[in-house]
This record gives sequence, structure tokens and C-alpha cells, in this order.
Amino acid sequence: MFKDVTVGQYYPANSIIHKLDPRTKINFTFLFIIALFLVNTFTGYIVAFLFLISIILLSKIPIKYILKGIKGLIFIILLTVLINLFITPGTPKYQFWIFVITEEGLHLAVFMALRLIFLVTGTSIMTLTTSPIALTDGIEYLLKRVPIVKIYAHELAMMMTIALRFIPTLMEEADKIMKAQKARGADFETGNLIARAKNLIPLLVPLFIGAFRRADELAIAMEARCYRGGENRTRLKELAYSLRDFYSYMITLGMIVAIVITRYYYIW
Amino acid sequence: MTNNKTKYLVRISVLSTIAFILMYIDFPIPIFPGFLKFDVSDVPALLGTFSMGPVAGVVIQLLKNILHAIVKGSETGGVGQLANFITGSAWVIPVGLFYSKVKTRKTAIFGLVAGAISMIIVAAFANYFILLPFYAKIMPVEAIVALGSAVNAKIVDFPTLILYGITPFNIFKTITVSLITLAIYKKISPILHK
Repeated sequence: MFKDVTVGQYYPANSIIHKLDPRTKINFTFLFIIALFLVNTFTGYIVAFLFLISIILLSKIPIKYILKGIKGLIFIILLTVLINLFITPGTPKYQFWIFVITEEGLHLAVFMALRLIFLVTGTSIMTLTTSPIALTDGIEYLLKRVPIVKIYAHELAMMMTIALRFIPTLMEEADKIMKAQKARGADFETGNLIARAKNLIPLLVPLFIGAFRRADELAIAMEARCYRGGENRTRLKELAYSLRDFYSYMITLGMIVAIVITRYYYIW
Repeated sequence: MTNNKTKYLVRISVLSTIAFILMYIDFPIPIFPGFLKFDVSDVPALLGTFSMGPVAGVVIQLLKNILHAIVKGSETGGVGQLANFITGSAWVIPVGLFYSKVKTRKTAIFGLVAGAISMIIVAAFANYFILLPFYAKIMPVEAIVALGSAVNAKIVDFPTLILYGITPFNIFKTITVSLITLAIYKKISPILHK
């Protein structure tokens, strides 16, 4: 059941994009989504496309790898295109039998499909080029700026780091328990939904018990090393913005400005 | 002698990990629209709420969704995870409020019922105000509704999509997950309170 679970999308490589501060990449992702929703002409998409393709080339991630992410959404994209093509009212362009494709429909179909593809690609760049641990660090720094949440930033980040570290361990344990229970005649794959949900109980009980045992052992180990929360705690590696990050912010801002301009001055 | 705070912190982390792993064991349900998937990832949050209170439950829901966003990436820029977090929190808070005062089987069941009702209502609002408007930006409204009406002819627009498509799914989900939680909690509570 777990064989198709690849933990993380992270693609390790040595590139400028990988070296960027995780905060820069988190902020970039949000800015990019906003920018995408500002696009209302095809010229705007050309700007977004040029921007994205240069990031992908800089990040040294094989294009094939990125296309794989889009493949998972091919069904939704096709559905969007088809429904837009045939439902949108307007001036008919092509007509055959009972199907009418309008000019507006064609325009909207391509437009929405592009938006979906850019959205998926743009947001996956962050997780492709940043390891989960680096992202956790980035989130901790960003949380420190949010009022109220600020006091718990360290605790939240610590919990996230522990949780990340336990993913492979507990996944392996879940797999082991599943095999052990199957050997005893448990059935996880057949039956109706309620039966299947009920069959999860023999998996969940040992999983929870094992996890709690590990948790308590880790708590003791942390205490033994004098862990006492975030106060006065120092880090081995501090996150620091470099000139690279400054340029990235400038370029991202430039892209947003360019996209806003295409809302008023466009060729297509 | 372990400090309670560290133990609390680590237990929440581990429960979040299990919740994250359980998100993978999901089964689409034949009668419901294809984008609704059933998983039992709320069980760890409910268990955490029973043993450590509503705040722990909310934190588990939060961590589960952040983990999902940073490990698997988010196609929606976090909107899907945000909606999951809101509905999940709406589910665990009433459970915690009921159960944390008087810890009996009766309050646990009351809590689960109250939690289920609150989750279903909040989920309907979250879908109407956050998720569907967001999806409408990448997919035409007609496409989403058409997906639903392919399954149920009564679905004609957003409110009916929520009423006939999403709410029955959530009713089913809350009942199943609550039953599993009750069954498990009885078995593991001696270890939880050791």
C-alpha cells in the first residue's frame, strides 16, 4: 500500500535556485499565485512563461520531472478544456453535428488550461528545490514575524522537524504491521468501505502504541540533553538573506509589474 | 523524570506524522463526486484531543496540513490545506471542550456528535467561501457543478453541490472516523495516560 508513496518531491541539485533562502521561495510562491490571477491576456502568460522557464532552467531540474507533475492533472485539465469549449456561449466558430465551438469558448478553454498548468508548475518549484527541513526553517522565521503566533514559533517548528523525521520511521513501521497482520489473516484491500475502514483498526492500534513508545523515548532523550523550549536557544545555522535573494525579490516584483502592464497594453 | 512539556510536544509531533501517513491510505467513494476522497487522517487528531485537549487537536491538524504542503507540495498554493485545517479544527474543538471537563464515555460520545455537527456546518461554509471560489478561478463553475451533477441530478449550482455532494460525504466521514476513534481510544488509553 505504501509502495507508491515517494516521500517528498524534493529534487536535490546544486543550483542558484536551490541555494536561495527558503523564505524567498515561500514568498515567491505566494507572489506568483497572485500574479497568475492578475493575468487576463495571453501576453501576460508569455511573461509568466518566460519567467517560469528561466527559473526551471536555472534550477537544473529536468523538464521531464516537471511534466510528470502536470501529468497527474491531465484529467482535470482535459475536463476543463472540454467543458469550456462546448458550454461557453458566443459567436460560433466551428460547427459539426450538435457540437458548437464558439470563439469565446476556445479562448476561455486555452486560457483556463494555461492558468492551471502554470499554477501547478509554479507552486511545485518551491517543494522541488527546497528540502522539507529547509522549508521548516523558513516557516519558523516567517512565523516569528506574525503577532501572537510568534511566541510559539519555536515550538511549532520543533514539532514540525520531529514529525518530518518520523515520517520514514513510522511509514516503515506501518508497512511492517500491515504485513504482520496480513500474515495473521487480516484483509486491507477488499470489502466495502465500512469494512475497509473497520479493518484499519488492527493496523492503527499497534501503530499508535509503537509511536507513543518512540515519542516518550525521544522526550526522555531530549530532556537528558537539557531541552527546555525555545528561550535563549541558539542555532547552528542561522538563515541570512544574501544578495541573491535581493535580486530574486527584485525580479519577482519586475514580473508582477510586467504582468500588470500587460493588463492594459497587450498584443493578443 | 520527564518534563511534561517536552513529552506533550513530542507526542503531538508523532500523532501529526501518523495523520500525515494516514492521508495516503485514502479510498475514493464510488457514489460521491470524484474529488472527494475518504481518509482516516482525523483519527490521530481526535485521539490527541481526547488525551491532551482541544489545543493539541488543533495543532495536530495544523501540522498535518503543513507537512502535506511542504512534503507533497500544494497544487492550490495551500488553499486545499487551509480548508482542511479549518474543517478539522472545527471538528476537534467541540470534542475537546466536552471531553476535557468530564472524562466519561458519555461525554466522549457527546463530544464526537457535537464535533461532527460543527465540522459538517463549517465544512459547508469553508467550501462555499474558500474552496469553490478558488477552484472557480482555475476551472469554470459549470465544470465543477457538472462533475457533481453527473453523479446526482439534484446538483445544479454551488449551494446544491454542497448540500447534496459534500454534506452527505462529510456525514459519512464523521460517523466512520468517530467510530474508529472510539474503538481505538479504548484500547490505547492505558498507554496514553501512563
